[in-house]
Amino acid sequence: MEFLEVVGSRRSIRWFKTWEKVPRDKIQRILEVVRLTTCPGNLQPWRAIVVERDALDEQTRDGLLGADNWQGAHTQAPVWIYWYADPSVTRPESFQERTTELTDLGALPPAYGWSKEMIEAAIQRGEVVQAGGPAINELIHGMPAEVGAAVAYAGTVGACACACLAAVNEGLGTCLHMIAAPSKQDRVKELLGVPEDVLPVWVQLVGYPAEDPEAGGQRPRFPFETTFFERSWGQPFPRDEEVVSQLTKERLLQEPMPKPGRFDELKFLSRMYGYPE
Amino acid sequence: MTFEKNPDLYSSVQHWMEVVNARHKLSAQEWEDRLPVLWSFCESLGKDPDTIIKEALDERNSKLDYMRHLRRWANDQAKGPQATHELQNVIRSFFINNGARVLTKPYPDVYSRGGL
Repeated sequence: MEFLEVVGSRRSIRWFKTWEKVPRDKIQRILEVVRLTTCPGNLQPWRAIVVERDALDEQTRDGLLGADNWQGAHTQAPVWIYWYADPSVTRPESFQERTTELTDLGALPPAYGWSKEMIEAAIQRGEVVQAGGPAINELIHGMPAEVGAAVAYAGTVGACACACLAAVNEGLGTCLHMIAAPSKQDRVKELLGVPEDVLPVWVQLVGYPAEDPEAGGQRPRFPFETTFFERSWGQPFPRDEEVVSQLTKERLLQEPMPKPGRFDELKFLSRMYGYPE
Repeated sequence: MTFEKNPDLYSSVQHWMEVVNARHKLSAQEWEDRLPVLWSFCESLGKDPDTIIKEALDERNSKLDYMRHLRRWANDQAKGPQATHELQNVIRSFFINNGARVLTKPYPDVYSRGGL
């Protein structure tokens, strides 16, 4: 599938063919995509635990489902990828290690001021970075732990977005859920053996859609002009209708929801899976 | 307590039917099958539908008590797990579409085709 069509075809799938297994190579391909996803400072804060529902013992399975309030999509999806963020990678010494590696390998150019010495001075001693380089001294030196956690969390959220696109590219349906209600996060960590200081981000449900992959059509989005600005806040970035037309042909822009028959589809899915209408 | 089994008399029943019909357009026959289930559930509690919904919305513990009663009542009424589940779904639909959020669980075979 072409990139634009992948983006345009992604939906939060909430009905899965619960009986159809997902080949392991497709899961690996999703993980391989995330491994190469963009992140600040090459920190790679994401960690994932892949769980095949039908390989679980009943107690663990019901514990994980109960933590997510027995949501229908979670019970139906045969694969659950639990995404966590590791805040330890944002510690100054980790940031120093990663940026030094990037400098050694030629990703961060000396022409902009990057060097082992600059990184060490900025991160360890908070020395001001010369013009042309990033002000990492302000970002890193004396940074409160909460900021590090936020950076790790934000990087992992971005990775999850890429994981969703990767799943669509594999012909799969996917949806991100809260891992658990806040009061039940510790229970999930216990069931999955997750260290205490790691941050829960999302559980990605993966399987083949039981609903039409278009899931009733594209979701409503805020108008382009009130979302994207030019030069100053509130000044719309003009939307060229010719570009819109081209993107429609390329399947980025698809039919909005609800498509005809959507509510009939929901009725029959509810009946098929034994849910109230 | 006795009450009239007339959907026009209860705003909660009217609302339930309107919301479900707006989305799923149930036939008159389907409602003829479902309304007796609701009346029977209400009778088992000795309360009319509006009172049940008001209590469920006002007090979370009442809602949970109703759900516990629903499980017992459906077990007593139905023959077999599927029929029990379907009876419960009718009542859950009544609660959900009146704004009382209740937990729903699928059939065991939702997990896998062979069942667990």
